[in-house]
Amino acid sequence: MTAIRAVLIAAGAAAGAFGISLLLGLGQRNLIATVEWLAGGVVLHDGIVGPAVIAAAFVVGRVFRGRVPAAVIVGGIVLATVTVVAIPVLGRFGQRPDNTTLLDGSYGVGWLVFAGLTLLLVLALVVRGRRTSGRADEGGGHGTGPGRR
Amino acid sequence: MPQLRPPPVPDESDFTSRLRSPAVAARVGVWLGICFAIAFITGLISHEAYVHHPFIAFPTRPVWLYRVTQGLHVTTGTAAIPLLLVKLWTVFPKLFSRPPKKVGLLLVESLERGSIAVLVASSIFQLASGLLNSSQWYPWGFDFRATHYAMAWVAIGALIVHIAVKLPVIRDVLGADIDAGLHDRESMAAAAPISRRGLVRSAFLASGVAVLATAGSTVPLLRRVSVFEIRTGAGPAGIPINTSAKHAGVIPAALSDSYRLTIAYGGRELSFSRQDLEQLRQRTHDLPIACVEGWSASGTWTGVRLRDLLDLVGAPAGHDVRVVSMQTRGAFGTTVLPNQFVDDPLTLLALGLHGEKLALDHGYPCRLIAPDRPGVFQTKWVRKLEVIA
Repeated sequence: MTAIRAVLIAAGAAAGAFGISLLLGLGQRNLIATVEWLAGGVVLHDGIVGPAVIAAAFVVGRVFRGRVPAAVIVGGIVLATVTVVAIPVLGRFGQRPDNTTLLDGSYGVGWLVFAGLTLLLVLALVVRGRRTSGRADEGGGHGTGPGRR
Repeated sequence: MPQLRPPPVPDESDFTSRLRSPAVAARVGVWLGICFAIAFITGLISHEAYVHHPFIAFPTRPVWLYRVTQGLHVTTGTAAIPLLLVKLWTVFPKLFSRPPKKVGLLLVESLERGSIAVLVASSIFQLASGLLNSSQWYPWGFDFRATHYAMAWVAIGALIVHIAVKLPVIRDVLGADIDAGLHDRESMAAAAPISRRGLVRSAFLASGVAVLATAGSTVPLLRRVSVFEIRTGAGPAGIPINTSAKHAGVIPAALSDSYRLTIAYGGRELSFSRQDLEQLRQRTHDLPIACVEGWSASGTWTGVRLRDLLDLVGAPAGHDVRVVSMQTRGAFGTTVLPNQFVDDPLTLLALGLHGEKLALDHGYPCRLIAPDRPGVFQTKWVRKLEVIA
């Protein structure tokens, strides 16, 4: 395995070096703009998105008094990450007055439908989960000790 | 009196969730890696289709090849966004791990963390710039195509290094049950509201939803559920456009009675009005228009076979053709059509689309449509075809 790892590291480093040489060949202005975006992405994630998710998890934990239904987490993951994907169309930042065939969907309505459906599904699953766990045992619910699914 | 303490800087051990485990990271990572690999390969194919002197001459068949590869490129990039966000969440505590005290270990760890920093930065860069470009939003100062291509090599290189470094851990955690606890930190003990399997499946679910919600721009069957598609598919003759006639600055010239198409080979030049072109033998072919932003549409184009036109000036087969547009703005006003497309019987100088006269925004009086070519090379408002000797 050591040999495979060594070959992979060499190949990866070579590919990366090739990419960096291409980047350097695009000129200093291009390089500065690229580095700004590279650093900006990391700062945005590690400085804002990461802590914001921790804060959101804390608030959700408080709201549900430490017993957060699994469906809330699943719904939250889907809603948040898909909304990130939808930012460019929701803001219609690329819209141009001379081209009506671009960014021509009803994205706000679409997002409301998507978010509404997600919330409804989560709600249905939470209600169903409450009923089942109420019938089964008091303490069970959503524990996830080793070996549990 | 309470002791004064410095503000708390979290340590890796302060993160106690069972979910931030290598067993979760590796499982999400496998699919993230597959997405990156497909996006990288299809990106290379698109790059080959763009460069003037490609490594391999770009094929003209199947006619839908570029439509599929570029659709896959944008789709896998989109699918990777939820996966990357979940993956970064699971490894977030690593950001706060204390460096080792031994110099040798410190050096190794610095190198590894350096490669991770490159991987994270280039991954976010690629997915963010690709996503924004697909919606034609360019809020940056770099050349998108060249920079996205260069950073693709950086990202894939850093990914390969990362896999190599983590290979023993990846093998261990993928070979065992997700809850087996191999390579877990000691502090990773707190119960979570969701199981590890549940988290991995949520990431896949989010990824799938992101694809369904956006892929309608290239897969018409998904239109009804694609609430975030960049284009609904509406447009003149049922096909969207990228550059309008107004933006290209062609309107007076394209509508002028004095419009003539010039065909040049050696010293010979012939010129044709739109009516002259309509008098020539017309052919109809179904060819897709597929753009680099990932949207595509199939059209039924009617016009003159390019080869027939070139025969009129006596140009032999095997020559590239310079295609000159009336457009005054944009980087693709003049393009070179490689000879395999020039000589292909499906390549048309189209005068009509879906049985209608070609709309101004689709390239009236005439446009090029060739099989398996990126959309920006399907030159609109053509005014000159020059056979390159």
